[in-house]
Amino acid sequence: MRGKPANKNTAARKATVRPPRECLFSKSGFIYIDYKNTEVLKKFINDQGKILPRRVTGTSAKFQRQLCAAVKRARHLGLLPFVAENLR
Amino acid sequence: MAQTYYELTYIVNPVLEEDQFKVTVEKYTKYLADNGATIDEVQEWGIKSTAYPIKKKSSGYYVNAYFHAPGALIVKLERQLEIDDNVLRYLTIKYDNKMLAYREIQKNGTLPVLRERTEEEKK
Repeated sequence: MRGKPANKNTAARKATVRPPRECLFSKSGFIYIDYKNTEVLKKFINDQGKILPRRVTGTSAKFQRQLCAAVKRARHLGLLPFVAENLR
Repeated sequence: MAQTYYELTYIVNPVLEEDQFKVTVEKYTKYLADNGATIDEVQEWGIKSTAYPIKKKSSGYYVNAYFHAPGALIVKLERQLEIDDNVLRYLTIKYDNKMLAYREIQKNGTLPVLRERTEEEKK
């Protein structure tokens, strides 16, 4: 009895999680993510300006850390927004 | 003396006259060179609009410099930049071995391009 709803939940969650993907940075042969390269960084933030989680982009832990630092540096210099205006 | 490779980016007040930019850039380049730094490259990106207002300016004159310097100089440099009213923002970054390797590739002009997801992977 107790086990069943839990199973249902995990099954529902599994269906929504996308299959694991390879990290785009590792694949493309990156060694360092430059904060000046805003074209690349923009692909890893949403339209609010938030950094996308690894589970969405499939970035490896190593590059996610670098990406995070790069985005924050770019924000400091006004290359990327902290909060983007969300026009609806 | 031990020299480390640094990268400095700063934003100059865009309200200044055209020749004032040169004066400011010259001032910091000279300051570095006079205090034991070897300048590698200074790039001026020109006036770019910022993503959000910085010190009530919505654009800035970006300058990007690479140089070798003793660590003690960076503290002094940052103090100068902090005091200067014409500098809106600055960022100094110390390069480690991996970043130096990246810099070499950047100079050669063969930087890796982020590949796109193939259609098959997107599903």
